[in-house]
Amino acid sequence: MRYVCSICGYVYDEAKEKTPFSQLPESWTCPLCGAPKALFVPEKKAEPQRASAALVHMDEDMTKLSAGALAALCSNLARGCEKQYKDEERVLFQELSDYFLSVTPEVPGADLDQLLSLLKADLEERYPAVSEAAKAVGDRGTQRVCVWGEKVTRILHSLAERYQKEGGAFLEHTQIWVCSVCGFVFVGDAPPEICPVCKVPAWKFDKVEGRASA
Amino acid sequence: MKTQIAVRNLRLCTKDCLCLYVCPTGATDTENSIIDVDKCTGCGACANACPSGAISIVPIAYPPQQKKEETVLGRSYRMAKNKAEQEAVARQLAASAGEDSLYRLMTAIAKSVRLVNEDLLRESGYMLPQSGNTHALLRDWVENPPFPGFPIAAAQKLLELLPNNDEDGETKKAVKKYRCKICGHVFEVADGETPVCPVCKATGDNLELLG
Repeated sequence: MRYVCSICGYVYDEAKEKTPFSQLPESWTCPLCGAPKALFVPEKKAEPQRASAALVHMDEDMTKLSAGALAALCSNLARGCEKQYKDEERVLFQELSDYFLSVTPEVPGADLDQLLSLLKADLEERYPAVSEAAKAVGDRGTQRVCVWGEKVTRILHSLAERYQKEGGAFLEHTQIWVCSVCGFVFVGDAPPEICPVCKVPAWKFDKVEGRASA
Repeated sequence: MKTQIAVRNLRLCTKDCLCLYVCPTGATDTENSIIDVDKCTGCGACANACPSGAISIVPIAYPPQQKKEETVLGRSYRMAKNKAEQEAVARQLAASAGEDSLYRLMTAIAKSVRLVNEDLLRESGYMLPQSGNTHALLRDWVENPPFPGFPIAAAQKLLELLPNNDEDGETKKAVKKYRCKICGHVFEVADGETPVCPVCKATGDNLELLG
């Protein structure tokens, strides 16, 4: 039996390995991208059909974007200006983005459980919903966003869940890296050679620094 | 009128300096290594000569963006709001974190979620800063500031700096179409300009106004 990593596509082939997949410890992770064992799926097993009925309840109104979403919209446009070497425009969009972030209200009672349930809502409801709508109209750009975003969200969920279960020991003597293109998060002493999600080279990863010592 | 300019990616530049040798106007030779937009004629000589592929030629005017369907946009916007909330929660958890590992993990998650959300919104009609959507949004913010203390001047300045590539018919109609009776070429000139056939240089009665 072969098991495939749902993040990067790495194949664990039981015929070539000494240990059957089921006997690998729960702490085992993907040797390429660091995804936990739980994100591996048996090969060839058909993807479960997504229940369209569940999507009927989706509210599709184009209500106004929140301040937090507008902050991301503006930092995206700042990035667009940076790519076009328009520095004056980049600074102005960044100013708008910082402003929207500053007026984003505090989330009451923010904790890990809340973060996990928000990430889970994306994985279980929103990605299937956006992806379904994009497929229906042949919008391949949005389908690409769903492929990358869903994988990144899966990794975030697994890391936050691991922290909740076993605390921060697994992060203590190593680094956390964020792919500056797709947002993939990798735990290790050095970033992966290429991003397992969007395939950019290692230098596109940023190291997350600890709190500046006073 | 030039239609394109050269830009240099400093991460890729290996300082072989062939661009300096071939540039006819000295636009590539600057103290900060950013190609001088005003001097650049868009001839492309530097990009052709560059051995490290660090220079590319980009258009000055960008085409209109691909239209997005309302059904996709509605669902994407809902997800964008959820992602903004994830980012806010992760930021708050980072700010209140006691141990460094939690601080770093939450900082990473906030940063990651922001990148994913930027990508989502980029594909939801806000890919180009020069788009009609971006212009409409900026104009709306200038006229109806969304929150108190909104930096109106920044939005106003962006409207002045950025062209609108989705300009509607009102601004586009100011061209006249002619057919040259001499060579048959069909061409457009801005309203008010004297028409001259760009192929055979015919003028006056030799040109037929098409509308």
